[in-house]
Amino acid sequence: MKRIILFVLLFACLASVPFFTTREYIYSLIILVCLYTILSHSWNLLGGFTGQISLGHSTFFGMGALVFRYVWLKGLPPYLALGVGALSSLVLACLIGFPSFKLKGHYFSIGTLALSMIALITIQNIFPGVSFVPQEYLKTYSLLPIYYMAIIAAAVTIGVIYALTRSKLGLALISVREDEDAAEAIGVNTFRHKVISMSLSTLIAGMGGGVFSYYVASYYYYVPFNLDYSFDPVLITFIGGPGTVIGPVIGSICFVLLKELFAISLGQMNVLIFGIVFILTILFLPEGLVGLMKKLRKTKKVQAVESA
Amino acid sequence: MLHFAQIFSYGLISGALYGLVALGLSLVFGVMNYLIVAHGALIMMAAYITFWAFVYLKIDPFLFIVIVTPAFFVIGWILFKILFQSLMSFSEGEKIKNSLLISFGLLLVFSNMATLFWTADERAISTAYTGKVFDLFGVRLPYIGLGGVALAIIVIIALHLFLTRTYFGKAIRAVSLDHEAATLMGINVNRVCLVAFSLGFALAGIPGILTALHAFNPTVSFELTNKALIVLILAGFGSIKGVLIGGFLLGAIEAVGVYVMGTPYREVFGLILFVLFLMFRPQGLAGKKA
Repeated sequence: MKRIILFVLLFACLASVPFFTTREYIYSLIILVCLYTILSHSWNLLGGFTGQISLGHSTFFGMGALVFRYVWLKGLPPYLALGVGALSSLVLACLIGFPSFKLKGHYFSIGTLALSMIALITIQNIFPGVSFVPQEYLKTYSLLPIYYMAIIAAAVTIGVIYALTRSKLGLALISVREDEDAAEAIGVNTFRHKVISMSLSTLIAGMGGGVFSYYVASYYYYVPFNLDYSFDPVLITFIGGPGTVIGPVIGSICFVLLKELFAISLGQMNVLIFGIVFILTILFLPEGLVGLMKKLRKTKKVQAVESA
Repeated sequence: MLHFAQIFSYGLISGALYGLVALGLSLVFGVMNYLIVAHGALIMMAAYITFWAFVYLKIDPFLFIVIVTPAFFVIGWILFKILFQSLMSFSEGEKIKNSLLISFGLLLVFSNMATLFWTADERAISTAYTGKVFDLFGVRLPYIGLGGVALAIIVIIALHLFLTRTYFGKAIRAVSLDHEAATLMGINVNRVCLVAFSLGFALAGIPGILTALHAFNPTVSFELTNKALIVLILAGFGSIKGVLIGGFLLGAIEAVGVYVMGTPYREVFGLILFVLFLMFRPQGLAGKKA
């Protein structure tokens, strides 16, 4: 209960930020954090909770962006378009995602990687151009509606994941991660749960794509299909803490801040640093930063007990 | 027809490179179930080092093999000690998963480092024999490509002979079959794994040289890892003999793809084949059903 109150308070704070400042830089930082939170939580649901390490989330992210942009320019209100984009990702997942569950373990990872590469190349060839927004829209362009959409979408995502950790479904997903055979033996339909996890995950990824497409005014159509959007959430989630609610949020904040810090340097310095931290995390901190905080808290408690 | 023969022969030449690219990955996976997806990044690093050696020291790329291969052996040795030794005691699935993740991190680190050091520009070595072609009934075969094919065949046969004819090679094969049984036979499994891992790294040096002879940039690391994985699944995970055939097969299929659909879709054919194999025949062409 305490956590829910804290979460609602935080959301209210974020929602009231525009009353205190009009600096667009702050808005875009928060939008970026929300965007990466959505994307990495979508990955976290499949990779962190269900243990299916996908290297192809950019496919669903890109699909959401593509369809959002199309229906939004056709005149649909943005929030409806967001839903349509998310649903289109789910449809794509039905076509190509679910069959990939025939693959287990590392076969799934490299199979999804191949799928995302196919998607990237195909989009590059079919839509080689830049996606523009109309001139009239640019005249009244403001970050505020985008800002609200981003924080609402992120809040919905975190809410869904939080509800999931409290539910039987979440437990079933974790059992699939820990041991598929054992889960099957105690009566968890592993295939069905993987499909549920993938559906939710792709819905969230598609929503993230929609937010991206709403935020970035003009971009090459293939940009949201870039493999970076498959790889970044893996780094963010593992560093933050896979299988936790707060982990990907912490990871996203660090990621965006590092990105800003090295914005002028050539190459992606933040990915370089995150890559090194990622390797260290896998080796020494399988539970990520969240696990580290837990450990520190425990040792503090032990020290307090000892000194008492 | 001549057009097709031309495209097809280019396909086979790239196929030889793909086989070489997959070789180290296949060896390491076969012996200890480590899936080192950073292999493409290692090859890219080797390519940049070769490029430097050519530009600043005027060393011929083909001669540079003698230096770059031992150097990568040492790098592999060090990285194994630092990063990969702790995974040895894990179960098979955990080993694959963790090595995949760690080497995935390495892949990102190496390719971003390359962008910082060498920028994202296209580079290529132009030697005296670059661009020279051998005319075979109207089909133009570049000498570099022919050298690559010869190199691939020699290296793969040499590795095969090493694994089947020498004492240490047999120990490596024994370890790949069963770690515990190999230990009982008096084989130092840790040592064999260390050497096999470093050998896998050393084998990244040779395709690195061939890569340097063509145009390349830091994104080549992803491309090559991707090719290596496709060849690996065609050949069957961990098979050395299958790698050469798998490489040529991928090259040939890409060539047919280019002929039918045009160059932009070159990669897609291999990838679709890859997904189909993953789903219906994960043991590869030659492997038996598990």
